[in-house]
Order: sequence, then C-alpha cells, then structure tokens
Amino acid sequence: MTEPKDPAARVSSLAELPRDIRPPRDLWPQIAARLDTARASSPLAAPPSARRPPRLQWLAAAAMVASVAVGVWIGRSVLPSGVPGPVRTATTNSSAAPAAALVDAAFVTDPRYQRQRAALLQSLQAQLATMPPETRTKVLASLATIEKAKQDLEGALGKDPGNALLQELLVNTYQDEMRVLTDVHEAGGAGQGT
Amino acid sequence: MRIVYRWVTMAALALSSVAAYASADFEKTVPAQARGTVEISNVAGEIQVSGWDRPEVSVRGDLGAGVERVEVTSEGNRTLIKVVLPSMAFHNGSADLKVQIPRDSELDISAVSAEVRVANVQGVQRLNTVSGDITSELVAPEGEFKTVSGGVRLRGHGVTARLHVSTVSGDVHIEHAAGDLEVGTVSGTLRLQLDTASSVRAHSTSGDVSFEGQLGHGANFEATTVSGDLSVRARSDGFRYEVSSFTGDINSCFDVSAERTSKYAPGKTLQGSRGDGAGYLRLKTMSGDIEVCDRK
Amino acid sequence: MTHAQAEDGRVEWEGALVQRACAGDTRAFERLYREHAGRVYGLCLRMTRDPQLAEDCTQDTFINAWRALPRFETRSSLSTWLHRIAVNVSLAKRRKSPQVEPMPEDDEGGGGADFTLETPVEVREIETAIGELPDGARDALVLHALYGYSHGEAAQMLGVAEGTCKAQLHRARKLLRDRLGVEVN
Repeated sequence: MTEPKDPAARVSSLAELPRDIRPPRDLWPQIAARLDTARASSPLAAPPSARRPPRLQWLAAAAMVASVAVGVWIGRSVLPSGVPGPVRTATTNSSAAPAAALVDAAFVTDPRYQRQRAALLQSLQAQLATMPPETRTKVLASLATIEKAKQDLEGALGKDPGNALLQELLVNTYQDEMRVLTDVHEAGGAGQGT
Repeated sequence: MRIVYRWVTMAALALSSVAAYASADFEKTVPAQARGTVEISNVAGEIQVSGWDRPEVSVRGDLGAGVERVEVTSEGNRTLIKVVLPSMAFHNGSADLKVQIPRDSELDISAVSAEVRVANVQGVQRLNTVSGDITSELVAPEGEFKTVSGGVRLRGHGVTARLHVSTVSGDVHIEHAAGDLEVGTVSGTLRLQLDTASSVRAHSTSGDVSFEGQLGHGANFEATTVSGDLSVRARSDGFRYEVSSFTGDINSCFDVSAERTSKYAPGKTLQGSRGDGAGYLRLKTMSGDIEVCDRK
Repeated sequence: MTHAQAEDGRVEWEGALVQRACAGDTRAFERLYREHAGRVYGLCLRMTRDPQLAEDCTQDTFINAWRALPRFETRSSLSTWLHRIAVNVSLAKRRKSPQVEPMPEDDEGGGGADFTLETPVEVREIETAIGELPDGARDALVLHALYGYSHGEAAQMLGVAEGTCKAQLHRARKLLRDRLGVEVN
C-alpha cells in the first residue's frame, strides 16, 4: 500500500491524490472468518475450469484442507474452553485418537481430504525414488517433523480444546503437510525426460 | 573362454568408466527479445545466469559424459535451454551452464540437484530446484524461489519487491530485501533481514525464524512456528502486537510481561501497542521461545 | 523494467494467485487482499465518506470477490474487477436513499478534463471538497479523476449512461472550482 500523502502537502492534480488508503485496522481476520461460509455456496466439487492445468488438482487438495480446516478452526473457536466438541470416531492417527476424539476434527475424516491425501501418499514413494538420496532423506525427515507437530498439537488441544492458538497452528500444520506432498509430487517429475 | 570373456568385460567396464569422466564443451548463442522469457532446465551440475544488455542468449556449458545434448531454441519471445539426458540415465549426467540473458528477461529455472546462481536479472524470477541451492541477487520487482531440500540465499539492494520463498528442509537467508515477503519452511532455518518491509509472513514448523529490519509505516508482520524459536528485532514507527506461545517463553523489550491465557492450561500472551500503533505484528508458536524487540 | 513489462509480470503473478484462490487456497486470497485492500478501501471511503461503512464495504467486496472468483478471467485486471465490486457494494450500502438530483446541464466538453488545478491546493482541502460533492458527481469524479477509469468504464460501473457520467464530471469540476477558489481544468 502506498504511503498516504501528507494532508498538508499541495497537489496540482486530482490524480496525485493517494489511491491507496490503508484501513484503520487489519480487516483480514474478519474476512477470513467469513470466507468459510462464503465458499459453502460455491462447493469445491464444482468441475475444474477447462483452462486449469492438471497439476492444480493437487493444489486444490491442499486448498481444500485449508478451506475445510478454516471452517473447523472457526467452529471450534466458539467452543468454550474445556467443552469437547462432537466426538468423531475415525482418525488417521490412532496414537492421537484419545485427544482427537475430544475435538471436532472434521478435516481428519473428510472423505475428499482422505482420498487426496491417500493418493499423494501412494505416489510419494515413487516420487521420492526419482530424487537424490540426500533429498529423499530430508523430505522424509520433514514429513516426520510435521507428523510429530500434529501429534503434539492434537495432544495439547485435547487438554485445551478451545485454544485458538493451537487450532490455528494445527490448521497450518495440516496445510503444510499437503503442501509438502504436493511440492514433492511436482518436483518428482522434474528432470525426468530431460 | 570364460576367463577371456570375463577379462574383456572388465576391460570394457574400465574403459567405459574412464569415458564417463570425459566432458565436452558446449557453446551456443541465439537472438532473444530484450524482454522475453528464458527457461532453463538442468538435472545436475550448476546453472549460472547473469543479465546483460545484448538481445541475445549465450550458453556455455561444461557437459559431463552422461549428457546427451543441450537444446537451445528461441521462438517468439521465449528462449528454451534444456539439458537432455538419455532415458534412465537420471542423475548420471551433469552439466555446468553459464548463461547470459537480456537483463530485463523473465527467468524460469527448473533444476533437480543443480546449483542455481543468478545475478543482474531484472525480470521476474521463478527458480525451482529439488535439492540444489538457490542464490540470487534481488533486483527484480517479483520473485518466486522454491526448493525441496536446497538452501535459498537472496541478497537485495533495498529495492521493493514481492518475494515468495518456499523450502521443505532447506535454510533461507535473505539480506537487504524490501517490500512484501512470504517465506515458508518445515524444518529449515529462516534468517531474514529487510531494509524496509511492508508485509512479512514467515512460517516454519520446527525451524527457527529470525528477523531483523525496519517495518514500513502500517506494515503487517506475521511469523508462526510450531516448535521453532522466533527472534524478531523490528524497528518501526509503531505497531499493535499480539505475541503468543503455548509452552515456550516470551521475552520482549516492551516493559510489559506476558500474561497467562488460562488459569487451567499453559499458554502465555503479550498484547499491546508500540509507537503510533499503525502496523501489526503477530508472533505465534506452540513450544518455541519468542524474543521480540523494536529497538536495535 | 518498463511499466508495461511490470504490469505483464504482475498479471501473470496475480493470475497464479487467483487460480490458487479459486481452488480454495485462502492464503493465496489473503495475498490478493493485502495487495488490493488499500485501493478498495480508498474507493469505498471516498464513495461512502464514512470510515466504518468503508470498512464494511471493503470486507463485503472481498467476500463477494471470493464467491465470484471462478468467473474472473485472469487476463483481465483484477484491480478493475475488484473496483467494480466495490462500487456496487458502496452504492448498495449508502444509507441515504438515492437522491433525485437535478440532472446536470449538458456537457460542455468538461468530460475530457484531467482535473488539474491552476494553483496547487492542500490534500486535506481537496479531500474535504470532494467529500462535500453530491453523490453522483463525487462517484464519477473519484472513478475518473482519481482512479483513472475512462468515462465509459466509470459509467458502466455506476450504472449510468456515459453522457450522464460526463455531465456529472462537469458538475463536479464546477463545484470544486467554486469550493476551492481555483480554476480546475
């Protein structure tokens, strides 16, 4: 955003007046909170546009986690601290099941997310096989870091379900995982056929 | 006969391994539009790109024996430089390329383990590697730098730009940048120094994030980690701040102490306003420690 | 880098963000918000003359944009598209019922003005004067003289005939001249 002109500055043309005026406060948090319900009226299941390149279906997977998870975060942020949300019985991580069962972890069980994640994980080994060994090791270590972060956050949320900080960080972590899987999927094709 | 066959096979193998270390020089120059796009792809080795004021793209290469050929083609406003390996020879061919391109070109690089170095290119840069390091001089108004495990090192001259940097495990080191920065990693370390920032969004899962620089008037600064530490020294006319850690410590020079967010659960937060309060600074972590100050 | 080249690079950059946002990536949409919020808010503020209302208009603009993103053609200007939405939102939100303003006199060629001032004037004085213009004249002036839209584009955004827009600009020029006491060319 441009700097607002000094009110006492003199101008010779209306075109010199500032076009950018920064809002008095950051409006993004309120906008973000409303995006979830806004997107509900335009489901992600809509067929992709003809002009969208195929690889973006993987980005759509990551984005889907983002949008669903935002909804979950907003939903959970209104739960009073200490009050568990609806119990979900299916989770992807049995070791975190007790904590996850206490929270409204919709993104963990969303079938579209599960399918996309499973597909990316299925192709992960094949993609890693095309990478230099050192990179393969580092990617697996990073995915393990993310998995540990998820477990730590879900464990902490189990004790403090209404904690907005933890919810936000958990959303970020799920998004990070999808982003890493997507990046590896795309990078795995680099250099092949060159 | 079997012994002779074995000897011949061993000799052939020895010769082929000698041949594998033979390299070839490559040189080609093609005309190029002054403000066109240059795309370079290479698997291994090095890619060095520098900008010049000629309407030409010049490629000089030192090619390993595993390289089949280098294609350099120019069509319309696009110039393509592609290192071609025989099928299934992946990772066995290496090429060191030195490329000179018109200074205002847009530059797209796709590399696997090749190191990428760019200097004096003023067009938009999109540099992608799998494991190669990326080093670039920031003179363009926009840039996207993406790697899986390579490091990213960017050095600017305080020219305002929009930058997007992403690694999975590589470290990121940015100096003398300015403008709008979005940078993310899972386990790499982020070391950021901006001369003037209008917007910064830095995110890491376990890597540490450090920032030093000047925030422009009304700038937005946000950094989040799960377990990495956050260290922010942001000089500014003022900002509202919100600093939170679930189990880590919060230290600041703000003359206020962090408060517990709940009587019954961990969590500390520091909120308030500094100076004219025009900007916004938000630091969040689960278990990392946070240090924040607005003085040198 | 020339302005045209910078603009081309910008369109491609934004196009990539729009595609990601279309797929539901809220972080990509946030980047678009950060880039355009200032101009959208500035437009809303000048049209509504109320900072709180302008904030509401800005929020509604981006929410509406989020819903409508799949219909956006990436080769077009995102900035213009957002402004169209902002104008619609601001017009709808203005508290006063549409005034039946007296039709301005026929355009005396004032539609082609650059709105340069014979003598420099303080920013705050001009902004106050603009704020005091009648709605129709102010809308046309803001879109044409500040945000650089052509008569046709501004007319389309405001839902009026191009001739009406030119006449409103002429009226705005006269009123500013009277208010500021300087010639407005």
